[in-house]
Amino acid sequence: MLAYYMRLALRSFGRNPGITALMVLAIALGIAVCVMTLTVYHAMSGNPIWWKNDRLYAVTMDNWDPKQSYRRNSTLPPPEMTYQDTQHLFRSDIPRRKVIMYATDGVVSGAGNVPAAHVSTRVTTADFFAMFEAPFLYGGGWGAGADDPAQPLIVLSRAENQKLFGGVNSVGRTLRWNDHEFRVAGVLDDWFPRPRFFDLNGGSFGEPEKAFIPFGWGAQLELLNDEETDCWKPEKLDTFRDFMASDCVWLQMWVELPDAASRERMQSFMDGYWAEQHKAGRFQRPRDNRLTNVSGWLRDNRVVDNDNRVLVGLAFAFLAVCLINTVGLLLAKFLNGAPVTGVRRALGASRRHIFFQHLVEVAVLSVLGAVLGLGLAALGLAAVHHLYASAHLYQRGGYQELMHFDAVGVLWAVILALAATLAAGLYPAWRVGRLPPAVYLKSQ
Amino acid sequence: MSVPVRPILSALLRNRTGAVLVAMQIAIALAVLVNALYIVVQRAEKMGRPTGIDVDNVMVIASAGFTERFQTVPSIQEDLAYLRALPGVVAASVTGSIPLSDGGSNNPLLTNPEAHAGENYNALEIDEQGLAALGVHLVAGRNFTHEEIQPPLTKLDASRFVPEIIVSRALAERLFPHQSPLGKRVYDPLRQSATIVGVVDPVMGCFPSSDHPDWVYFLPRYPYAFGGSLVYLVRTQPGQRAALMRVVEQHLAKSNPDRVIDWVRPLNYFRDLTYLGDRSMEIYLITVTALMIAVTCLGIFALATFNVSTRTKQIGTRRAVGARRRDIVQYFLVENGLVTGAGVIVGCALALATGYYLSLQYALPRLNLYFLVGGVLLLWATGQLAAWQPARRAAAVPPSVATRTV
Repeated sequence: MLAYYMRLALRSFGRNPGITALMVLAIALGIAVCVMTLTVYHAMSGNPIWWKNDRLYAVTMDNWDPKQSYRRNSTLPPPEMTYQDTQHLFRSDIPRRKVIMYATDGVVSGAGNVPAAHVSTRVTTADFFAMFEAPFLYGGGWGAGADDPAQPLIVLSRAENQKLFGGVNSVGRTLRWNDHEFRVAGVLDDWFPRPRFFDLNGGSFGEPEKAFIPFGWGAQLELLNDEETDCWKPEKLDTFRDFMASDCVWLQMWVELPDAASRERMQSFMDGYWAEQHKAGRFQRPRDNRLTNVSGWLRDNRVVDNDNRVLVGLAFAFLAVCLINTVGLLLAKFLNGAPVTGVRRALGASRRHIFFQHLVEVAVLSVLGAVLGLGLAALGLAAVHHLYASAHLYQRGGYQELMHFDAVGVLWAVILALAATLAAGLYPAWRVGRLPPAVYLKSQ
Repeated sequence: MSVPVRPILSALLRNRTGAVLVAMQIAIALAVLVNALYIVVQRAEKMGRPTGIDVDNVMVIASAGFTERFQTVPSIQEDLAYLRALPGVVAASVTGSIPLSDGGSNNPLLTNPEAHAGENYNALEIDEQGLAALGVHLVAGRNFTHEEIQPPLTKLDASRFVPEIIVSRALAERLFPHQSPLGKRVYDPLRQSATIVGVVDPVMGCFPSSDHPDWVYFLPRYPYAFGGSLVYLVRTQPGQRAALMRVVEQHLAKSNPDRVIDWVRPLNYFRDLTYLGDRSMEIYLITVTALMIAVTCLGIFALATFNVSTRTKQIGTRRAVGARRRDIVQYFLVENGLVTGAGVIVGCALALATGYYLSLQYALPRLNLYFLVGGVLLLWATGQLAAWQPARRAAAVPPSVATRTV
């Protein structure tokens, strides 16, 4: 029966090729635009470490100016911390793991004949790799003992190891970082958490740094934060020591708290520290010490921008127009075929049969539309990707990496095609089944 | 001549599903068109703001010393001497952050040393050729002299201020409304003072995406370079930038082994990067809106064509009993006009509601009503245009059709 309905559908398409093409095109365009937008939206709104969502917490404290909040349009505390506060909180043994870190950059030289070049570098405490589950290809990180006093150990990204050492196991080899000798402790495997949740400064979709060195080097080599440093207090900042003792925020702090109890203990530990400092004259704003989980952190920092939400809305409005368009055309087409349907009814086809016959026709249209739409979406994404890449615009937070066409896109196309069939086909198919056959038989 | 609206309307109402569907499409298309165009125009305005900088003729060079031997000041002086001596170079200067890149430093200025805290304004360190290297014009006062250029901040005196500054006209107006800013004193947060010696034309600093990109001031100082990058700004004669960029990169890469040249890029690169999101949004909105209108028009066209073919006999009959070709065309156009009109009316409400929602949710400015009027006219006219050809075809149906199939 199904095969027979398919044949009927194909014959029906043949009768009005123009309108059939228009319907397929409308469904395809609607699906293509939706799949493109949703692919990007999905990539932006993803949580790259969802399995640890309720164990990892960003630590923030509101140390800002008593007269104004850090951001003009929100009362959230600054997203980064001062050196003095992180030092104090870091001493706590409540968290299972804890990390303080910031981004800087250094010039790497002395690795064979590779010319000296800038390499983005994260200055971090030892737990970084285990806490954020950065995978190692060779070697490993460093022990907490290497943080301070700082040991000359460095972890490289896979790409950087490829560039400097041709991709071999370089553990134990040496290189010069800002003209100081470092020994390679480990090489990371490919690792691109998107968004880059652990540090959203400098583009939410950028790659992790290419090198990692122990936190103690920050103070020893007086390395400044390369991304974001904010100060509010009029205070003398002549030396790096002044800077470390200041109310400037420039460090990211994260803790891993395995359960609710440890989370509560950490919160009260922070509150206790706050109270002590408050009494001593710091923290003059209302108390706002936060432990924010990953999804909350991504939300607070507005990783998915408004433009993207507007575009998702636009895509669905477009799909709606395409589907309404198709419903109108289908209805006209089906009603036009009413005399034939009348004959079929008179010869014994039930309403259900007529309904299914027409629904099969719509389903074929939708599948054609979905396949074409998927193709268009892939082309569209490839075009945007290419445009971004060829303009060398990858520097800004890796947006072009969001343009990957993946399984998610295919899944969306399938769901949308099903929805399209149901939305566009149900009413016309039902309506044509309800026609009284006698009227059409008479007029012949 | 009276238009027979009543019979058309009652015919429409007897068979309304198709008409309702077309009207719904028109309504959604109008809501999207109006709001999308409004956003596009805002973005275009944002990107079209004058930068005050000779963007097309400026190159940016990033250089970073990384060894103990590296000496900032001699290195800067050597590089600048080389750059300035190149034929085709108009001016060259050194700074710490890249104009128009949405990255740089904001520092507070106060007009009253007793005030609690100043607001942040974009600060850019330059030397005596800095204004010329950007192509920025002085409108009052004077430029910095070579002797006034301060040595870079060091690890021992990073709070040091400068004795003179040059401000943008917008910042001058902000700090000293309706007064001449020349000779006035401003203060840093530590209450060290500087005198305003010059005012420049409107100029965008490092932060085009901020609320006030033209609140900029210039410090006469070599940049702060604690192992970070120095940035050279080089302005060339029109048309010579590309060639000079290659020459410069080759020379500088080898001239000093204690530093690396990260890149040499045209300034346009950074402006484009800053506006990348706006540009993509614009392209996307225009494309999707155009497609939506195209789909709607094709739908109207196809539906009208279909209607004409199903109504051939009816049209023939009308022609046989005396309707002129004009009457038939009119019938279809009026029918289409009614449907489109209904869609447009619903669409207005939908457009306003969408605009209101966007302004609430995403802090976009409220929809401008001129856009609505324009959108209404445009959609109504396109609707009529889409129905025009099928209506003509209907008019071509000969009266004899009426007699054929009985």
